[in-house]
Amino acid sequence: MNQPSAAAWFAQFGVDEDLIRPALGLATQYGADQAELYFQHRTSTSVALSDRKVNRVHTAVDLGVGVRVVVGDQVGYAYTEDLSAAAVNKAAATAAQIARASGKGVPEQVRSAIGHPNFYPVSRSWADVPIGNRVPLIRAWEKAAFDADPRVEKVQVSLADGESYIYIARANGLRASDYRPMTTAWVSCTVNEEGRRESGSYNLAARDDLTFYTPDRQERLVDMAVDRALKALTATEAPAGELPVVMAAGSSGILLHEAIGHGMEADFNRKGTSIFHDKMGKSVASGEVTIIDDATIPGARGSLNIDDEGNPTERTALVQNGVLNSYLHDEISARHYGVAPTGSGRRQSFRHPILPRMRSTYMEAGPHKPADIIASVKNGIYCETFSNGQVQIGGGDFAFYVRFGYLIENGRLTRPIKDVNLIGNGPKVLAAIEMVGNDLVVDEGGWTCGKDGQGVPVSQGMPTVKVGKLSVGGGR
Amino acid sequence: MNAKNTRLDLAADVVAQAKALGAQEVSAAVVESSSINLTRRDGKVEQASEATSRRLSLSLMVDDKFSSHSTSDLRPEAVQTFLARAVAATGLLEPDPERRLPDPALMGRGTSEEALDHLDPTYADWTPDDRARLAESMEMAMDARRADDFISSTSYYSDGRSHYTQVTSNGFSDESEGAWYSLGSTLTLRDEGGRRPEGSSFYAVRHRADLPTVDAIADQAVERSRQAVGSGPTESGRYPMFLENRVAGRILGILSGPLSGSAIHYGRSCLADKLGQSIGSSLLTLVDDPTIPRGLGSTPWDEDLLKAQRRTIVDAGVLQQHYLDVYYARKLGRDPTTGSRTNWVVPPGERSWQALAKERDKSILVTGFLGGNANPLTGDFSFGIRGLLLENGEVVQSLSEMNVAGNLLDIFHKLAAVGDDPWTWSATRSPTLLFDDVAFSGT
Repeated sequence: MNQPSAAAWFAQFGVDEDLIRPALGLATQYGADQAELYFQHRTSTSVALSDRKVNRVHTAVDLGVGVRVVVGDQVGYAYTEDLSAAAVNKAAATAAQIARASGKGVPEQVRSAIGHPNFYPVSRSWADVPIGNRVPLIRAWEKAAFDADPRVEKVQVSLADGESYIYIARANGLRASDYRPMTTAWVSCTVNEEGRRESGSYNLAARDDLTFYTPDRQERLVDMAVDRALKALTATEAPAGELPVVMAAGSSGILLHEAIGHGMEADFNRKGTSIFHDKMGKSVASGEVTIIDDATIPGARGSLNIDDEGNPTERTALVQNGVLNSYLHDEISARHYGVAPTGSGRRQSFRHPILPRMRSTYMEAGPHKPADIIASVKNGIYCETFSNGQVQIGGGDFAFYVRFGYLIENGRLTRPIKDVNLIGNGPKVLAAIEMVGNDLVVDEGGWTCGKDGQGVPVSQGMPTVKVGKLSVGGGR
Repeated sequence: MNAKNTRLDLAADVVAQAKALGAQEVSAAVVESSSINLTRRDGKVEQASEATSRRLSLSLMVDDKFSSHSTSDLRPEAVQTFLARAVAATGLLEPDPERRLPDPALMGRGTSEEALDHLDPTYADWTPDDRARLAESMEMAMDARRADDFISSTSYYSDGRSHYTQVTSNGFSDESEGAWYSLGSTLTLRDEGGRRPEGSSFYAVRHRADLPTVDAIADQAVERSRQAVGSGPTESGRYPMFLENRVAGRILGILSGPLSGSAIHYGRSCLADKLGQSIGSSLLTLVDDPTIPRGLGSTPWDEDLLKAQRRTIVDAGVLQQHYLDVYYARKLGRDPTTGSRTNWVVPPGERSWQALAKERDKSILVTGFLGGNANPLTGDFSFGIRGLLLENGEVVQSLSEMNVAGNLLDIFHKLAAVGDDPWTWSATRSPTLLFDDVAFSGT
């Protein structure tokens, strides 16, 4: 299936140029640098299994339009779920209020439609997959989990999918559209060994269709969930204090997301509130370190064909060979800095304003073998799986929570550890990256990034990396 | 037809339509909400937004099979198609009879709208100009405190109103409506080494008259930003911990997961077999109270539409109740309590934390958290913290890049004193709490 035409899709809801033009006229009645209507129709389905039964389905529909009027760095914003001309015009008039005292001109209408590459082609729309087709997959994953080990006591499975049709109509005449599929599969199990219980889970996420679930992926989904629960049975309390830390390849990208990713979102920098504000063009890490935020990885959860302002997306180097290279821009910050937008303007839905956001954030591979990196640590920890993180933008302090890892003693992985928060300061930790492995993995999990109350899908990746020092919050 | 009847009629009509399509039980909710947000920075409005939203949610039982659905596409023909698909999808599942609606005798309203007092009668008269002036006065209060080390300050005002309509096929039909206001500022300061520490102060209330003055909020935002200047870690070790009232919910909150019926049912709770047992010192009492007038977590009914009522969760250290919704109660063969956490109240003690701190040579006042998590199955937790190192109650260092770690089944036994300063501006209403002998890791 090629990208369906979102303009044609929205015709079923009465959205056409006769609706759009008057509304944009009202939005720009007091002048504006830019204004747009963002139409979204999203449908989603989730089917879940617990207690050995496929016993729950949830479906949701979201339909509406967000109207935004931009004057300099000022934003007026309103939305409606009612696509009648009266309701859309009212939202447009409300958003226009921000420009009342601006004295700006109205953007010139030059009708144009942008094309774009397609980083997430699908062979079949999720809406065309009967709900009954999901059930055998879920059943098979449950059976495989119980078959994997006799200690597996309870299994929960869910398969969630959905698709979003986006149509962006801008006051400068540009029309852009996108079709964004998403699927997430989750397996969780509880294991019981002589009365000691632990749980483990694993998930896979992608902008893809049902063919994403290849036999290999299905096997990994189940095996990893069971493996994590069983490993937790053997794990004990983590150490406390400042230690060298080795980040495993894959979801360790959470360190980049928190240590530098958020701080490179340009809204914080144009306001002077990020610790990276005055570091552009300066060396922030060793030459081995190149950090990318990429919207173009085929099928990745964080990928985007266009951003939510209708701009083309790209692969943006935040740090190139140790030197701070580019912020993540939406149009407001790009205008502020006099640079091109990086296609990073994102919103959770038509109900939310646009902000500069990450997409897929990872570090490029370096020269070292993972085994050599571990062997270089006398006394430290190895971090393998993660649940959540947070950053304080101005101070630069960040944290991430390690679900599972190992002690490193004399260059070897020894005792398993779990449930420990690690904390550090972004610029200090970047400067303390001592070795970068040759084994980059972009994690396949369903990560969601939160900012100003908005969640957007992201990906993250990392090769094996050694950080000289992080504060480890264990109890020992 | 007025708006009130339209909402009840829509919900009742959805219930009738779903039954006609083959559902035996239906619960429908129509939620309408509106909100206005104003953000100011550098002497002007940075963002003004207005939202109005209307959403239909429903859950269905079709031949003892369960599903839930929601949509914002409320065109009548779209709702019809949506319901037909919803009923058809449900038929593909396996039976889960514990999902049936509760006994109607348990359902209903625990507190009247008047007693909850969550709709400020002046809300409707509050004009756009009034809002603009309040947001501007918040920013001016921050400006009046401007010093050389100020980098940026942002002020926020928002308010909103929500209306809930609930109708079920077994006879429940009721409505509830509330408003809220929120006001606050954040401030970023210049610090050594390029650091830009920030602090903030925010308040949320049901009635506008309960908001603190903009001067009080601005003073706190500046004070909390100054506290973060020059911060760093101190030595790892065991310290008395003063847990500031406004952030106490983060540590108390680790009880939530393991108290829930789902955690108990799926074997993921360290509190499953602790009913009637001591889980903390005799100073720990925790009450869930949905009836507090103007309370941010107050509600007339819970998620199962059971009458919301005051419950003692922990009494003098002894665990009294789990959070059992109707579904998991049936799965566990027990009576339901409620699945919904509302206001959590820790009754205040008699002494100020400042007086208690003077009696300890060294202690740590935790004023904020960064990251971290807790494992409901084992009770282990580990959180990043911000705070102040105190000696005999005097501030000697601003703390950051530190973690606090422990176990749920241990930490509450270390509760040594409860302060006299209950925080009433959130759904967690706790005074500052003192825990002895808590593990902090830093340098």
